[in-house]
Amino acid sequence: MKKSTALQRLLKRTEFYIFLVLIALIIVIQAVSGGQLLEPNIVVTILRTMVVDGLFALGCLLVMVSGGFDMSFPAIAALSYSLATTICLNNGWCQTTAWAGFALSIIFGAVLGMLNGVIISNFALNTMLVTLGTQTFFTGLSMGLFELKEITSTLPKGLRALGEWSLFEVQSSAGLSASMTGLFIFLIIAAIATSFVLNKTMFGRALYAIGGNEVSAERAGFNVKKTKFILYTVVGAMAGFTGMIRVCMARQSIPKALVNKEMTIIPAVILGGASIYGGEGSVFGTMTAIGIISLVSNSMLLVGIDTYWEKFFNGLIILIGITISSLQAKRNRR
Amino acid sequence: MSEYLLQMKGIDKNFSGVHALDHVDFAVRPGRVMCLAGENGCGKSTLVKIISGVYTKDEGEVYFEDKLVEHITPAEATRLGIQVIYQDLSIFPNLTVMENLAINSEITANRKLVNRKRWEATAKEALSKIGYDIDLNAKMGQLSVADKQLVAICRALLFNAKLIIMDEPTTALTKKEVDALFKTVRQLKDSGIAIMFIGHKIEEIFEIADDVCVMRNGKNVFLGETKGLERKDLIYYMTGREINDDFFVPENISEKPVLEVEHLGLKNKFEDVSFDLRKGEILGITGLLGSGRTELALALFGLEHPSEGTIKINGKEEKITSPIKAQNLKIGYVPEDRLTEGLCMEQPIADNIELASLKRLSKGGILKKKDILADAQKWVDTFKIKTDDARKKANTLSGGNQQKIVLSKWLANDLDILILNGPTVGVDIGAKQDIHHLVHELANEGLAVIIISDDLAEVVVNCSRVVVMKAGKIVGEMTGKDITEDNIREIIM
Repeated sequence: MKKSTALQRLLKRTEFYIFLVLIALIIVIQAVSGGQLLEPNIVVTILRTMVVDGLFALGCLLVMVSGGFDMSFPAIAALSYSLATTICLNNGWCQTTAWAGFALSIIFGAVLGMLNGVIISNFALNTMLVTLGTQTFFTGLSMGLFELKEITSTLPKGLRALGEWSLFEVQSSAGLSASMTGLFIFLIIAAIATSFVLNKTMFGRALYAIGGNEVSAERAGFNVKKTKFILYTVVGAMAGFTGMIRVCMARQSIPKALVNKEMTIIPAVILGGASIYGGEGSVFGTMTAIGIISLVSNSMLLVGIDTYWEKFFNGLIILIGITISSLQAKRNRR
Repeated sequence: MSEYLLQMKGIDKNFSGVHALDHVDFAVRPGRVMCLAGENGCGKSTLVKIISGVYTKDEGEVYFEDKLVEHITPAEATRLGIQVIYQDLSIFPNLTVMENLAINSEITANRKLVNRKRWEATAKEALSKIGYDIDLNAKMGQLSVADKQLVAICRALLFNAKLIIMDEPTTALTKKEVDALFKTVRQLKDSGIAIMFIGHKIEEIFEIADDVCVMRNGKNVFLGETKGLERKDLIYYMTGREINDDFFVPENISEKPVLEVEHLGLKNKFEDVSFDLRKGEILGITGLLGSGRTELALALFGLEHPSEGTIKINGKEEKITSPIKAQNLKIGYVPEDRLTEGLCMEQPIADNIELASLKRLSKGGILKKKDILADAQKWVDTFKIKTDDARKKANTLSGGNQQKIVLSKWLANDLDILILNGPTVGVDIGAKQDIHHLVHELANEGLAVIIISDDLAEVVVNCSRVVVMKAGKIVGEMTGKDITEDNIREIIM
């Protein structure tokens, strides 16, 4: 029997081609912008944009591997951080450190995610429709029940300080300076952790198995219900955490700031090799795709394209991502 | 110790009023192949699900290795050494062969972390059980059905299986793959494992099974050795009626041919094909896969475009460029899967019949329910479709009557020539006979029929004339009494 080589396997992976696309984009934009792209201040800005999108994408990836869709994570994040910052503000917490705000936001996120988990694991409903429902429901809670307000200049100092955490300063040849945010470390840790969970734990293998064939997973002995419940709870907690990171970086807590975020994150995860039918996807591919998105949105001015075109390119990326995913699925399931 | 591995006595199961199993007795001996046979809906899958612990029995006793098993759960079944290989094989198409092989044992061992080396060792051990070699890193979804099946068998063997149940394993396999599977099955049997085979193909039962259990309407009507069992008895047990080979006797063959094919050729598919067809005839076109039989049929229906030769319809030369042209020339074509899958089960019988004739029935693009119903009723009467109301859903009919609907759907457009490609592929024996009778009637009422098939028994019973194709050429033609399976086999290879 012919064994496939590592190279042959690499050539079959979507991730490999997405990575080539990223490299090609970098080369093209670098050339068109007259070498401005790889100026240190631009690179730092692009990496900064990746933090929040990347963290969201990791949660999204976990759900998509299991064959589900989570439309509600921006709503979960927004409700969690808005509640958390409001509580911190009212109690005078987070003046020196940020942990109380994060702890609250993560707990709220987990509870909201748990609601998704209970519904999805017990009633075998379409995950996209369930999370579309909870998305609206959570947004409604934020506005109606809690009447959460924007917090800008009064944002607790501890949160503000974390957002300003700088690893190092860089300067471009034109003398423009930018600082590398320390929060990028969280993205690296989260990416490594997600990759470990997906590849090295039975929980991760269960997600791939469920995404590949749920009936078979059940027959093989996986506790599908429990796995899904844990998944949506964890992803909710991740959304709560990511939301708080965003508050720190933006130095403001705006309940409506993340509206429609899922519309860019989900397609990016698909572009990164996740299948809309489940069972496929990797952290490397997802991070590469987020890199592409950040690169494109940050370099439009550099190559002289009006930022009004951002949606156009986002849409284009969505279409390319979905097309690749469908073609891939067709090839795998002849 | 009794001679039985598994014994089931008086198993009874009801599903909200439906008596799925009616006091069924069943037994499997180690080192033997048992075939559980019966037509669709006879209760065989319910019985299997009770053995594997998916369903709980209402009544009856189950003994495994002479010990009474009170309550079987899926986990208990695995512990006992019962493994089921479902028709979908329960594989993960997105994972590698290695992962597919090892994942079940990892779950059973309640592992939390993945150790690649251990997975690989497990996978290799599984493959070594039947001496099967395959790329462990290949994605499961890209394997052939036969390879997937072998992987599923290897995986089952990891659990020290004593009884392996295979649910219709040959359905999606080619003849060659079936032979390879049977070889593996015999190998397993020789090592003392009991194999339970679920199926309804008569030839396969006689080829592989040592014992056979036939079920009908939730009862078992036969349990015993295959040796000494007659083919016609087995068929009788399965269908509950005598199935005779009612040979087709043409009653009124027209003088002039309705179709004349002369020196027809299609590059790389077939060449120099000539034959004619008269009304009232059933012409069989047979040949192995790749002999050009299907391409020839498609050419007659305008789906392939011959590069040479001529086709005459009613004596007039015609170029059949498209299916629409073919339909205008009153040619109908029923592809392989249409007889079994060409129905909208949830839709009314009448709508199904008229599905292909909506254009004819509409006036200025508007359809009237009354017209559809009236026209459909005509076909219900002609074909004696057993229903009191054509407005009932198609799934209220029996299999054979459903087949009649599909045929009438095509005939509703007033045909001269009907081409049937593999008309009874995947159809169980009772319904098969109904279709054959129907086709005989149609021919005797003046339709010219072509049956394309590699099921020689079917060709022999139904055709008044047979054309045998091989490598794109006609290698023989026979009529009447000369049409026998042996005669065809002699020239087909």
